[in-house]
Amino acid sequence: MFHHTPFRYAALVLLASGALFQAFTAQYFGLEILTEILILAMLVLALDMVAGFGGMVSLCHGALMGVGAYGYAVLSTTAGLTPPVAMAAAVGITAGISWVIGAICSRSHGIYFIMATLAFGQMAYSYVFEAPIFGGDDGLGGIERLDLSIIGVDLNDTRTFALFCLVTLAAMYGLAVMILRSGLGRSFSGVMHNEQRMRALGLTVWRIKADVFGLSGMIAGVAGVLAAQHIMYISPGLMAWTVSGEALVVVILGGLGTLVGPLVGAAVFVVLKHELSSLTTYWHLIVGVILIGVVMSRANGIFGFIENSFAARSKTTEINPKAMEVTKDA
Amino acid sequence: MLETRNLNKSFGAVHVTRDVSLKLERGERRVILGPNGAGKTTLFNQLVGELTPDSGTVNLAGEDVTALPVAKRARQGLSRSYQKNTLFDGLTVEENLGLAAAIHTGNATTLWSDSLGKAEVREIVKDVANQVDLMPFLHAKVSQISYGVRRQLEVGVALATRPLVLLMDEPTSGVGPEMAKGFHDLLNNLPRDLTLLIIEHDMDLAFDVADTITVLNYGEVVFDGLPDAARGSDLLKEIYLGSWEDA
Repeated sequence: MFHHTPFRYAALVLLASGALFQAFTAQYFGLEILTEILILAMLVLALDMVAGFGGMVSLCHGALMGVGAYGYAVLSTTAGLTPPVAMAAAVGITAGISWVIGAICSRSHGIYFIMATLAFGQMAYSYVFEAPIFGGDDGLGGIERLDLSIIGVDLNDTRTFALFCLVTLAAMYGLAVMILRSGLGRSFSGVMHNEQRMRALGLTVWRIKADVFGLSGMIAGVAGVLAAQHIMYISPGLMAWTVSGEALVVVILGGLGTLVGPLVGAAVFVVLKHELSSLTTYWHLIVGVILIGVVMSRANGIFGFIENSFAARSKTTEINPKAMEVTKDA
Repeated sequence: MLETRNLNKSFGAVHVTRDVSLKLERGERRVILGPNGAGKTTLFNQLVGELTPDSGTVNLAGEDVTALPVAKRARQGLSRSYQKNTLFDGLTVEENLGLAAAIHTGNATTLWSDSLGKAEVREIVKDVANQVDLMPFLHAKVSQISYGVRRQLEVGVALATRPLVLLMDEPTSGVGPEMAKGFHDLLNNLPRDLTLLIIEHDMDLAFDVADTITVLNYGEVVFDGLPDAARGSDLLKEIYLGSWEDA
């Protein structure tokens, strides 16, 4: 069940400070990397919501991000909608599609759920790859960024766009926290811990799963809209299953079910990718070794490791003495 | 309050429940006895909807619920505890009770507030924790409490939905004699208008709590009557109670 600890608040402040510092001091290339981190962080935040707090390990979140991106691109370029309307519609469509996927897949578990979501993702990828309206394998270009000139903000400026992505990520993080702390989120956690019991207590389990999956898809859709505006060009590669796989790697690398961890994971992954790829074309091998190390260490990702080390050093867990007494007797 | 008519269930060639008909009045406390494999748990599973009967009906508060799924039956007032603890292991006792109370109070799907912080949910959690003697353990995780306390919580979670009918599958299963005695008080202190159907092997508990006794053997009701009649029944002694009488 989701709880924010002082340590997590501190980690969030540290991450936000680091991002702000980078946003105000970095040059073009640094700002591009920061924006890439922020968009990936939004995607993995969405994935951690369902995988870490509901056990719904999705391999279609990359495709959902793609739905948001293509939705925005088609609606703003081909359909001629204004960017704010296209953005809202694209996010809404992504949320709707996610809800349907969540509802259909809610009865499957474990490997079957992973395969079902993978199948949905690949269906979306194949369709976009072939459909002329989406530009086929050529993709779509000429995508405009949101026009905020009315409030004196020019998103075509790289630094401003990075800051806009940071503000949007903060809002999405707040939304994720609100969802996980709500009655819906608590029930979702209950379902992960014991689905049979939640059903026996009177909960319509598939509906809870579909609702949270839909909301998670909505956040992935926002990430997609920002991804489309960032590069101003999109291709079917955005929807490939490898994007979903990469997102899952980032969640595990950062710390599954912590919400803060995936943000750390996104930063580490993107920085590693850029730094290592400048040294060797086999950078995936190094990332793979690091991931294996993280998994084998049994720590819950990089953030989980730091959090556990900090907790072990600073205090012992507060346990009701009477409960301990009975445990000893058992 | 709860009535079954001619419930039948087979698994292949094995007939697990045969024409089981029961009628429980509001506030009645009935204990189901029977040797292992008599079909007691299978009967429970059909009552709550976890198994679909091959034939027969289940009525709850005058309504036929045979076709309703598990969750809908639960929302209509049918709750159960399990023989094997079926709890939310990573959560605290308070959160376990709170999840159940949130469903009952309609807070389990709200997006705008924390269900566990709602006044009506906290009130149910407190009430139930008092009823099943869990107050000292509220903030302990399930993994930190003893097996016996987990059995109390198992009943508590079922109670937190404020059911009309509570089905308890061997509530004292696996607990020591001292703790089993505590369950006598726990069950006797439950509200008198709550209808109880209990599967139990502890004869002392069964005869202490029961208003009526039903005995199943090979899936069939072979006795249905008052505890005193059950004690004197030769058939019962033969199929089940011999070891208890000798003990």
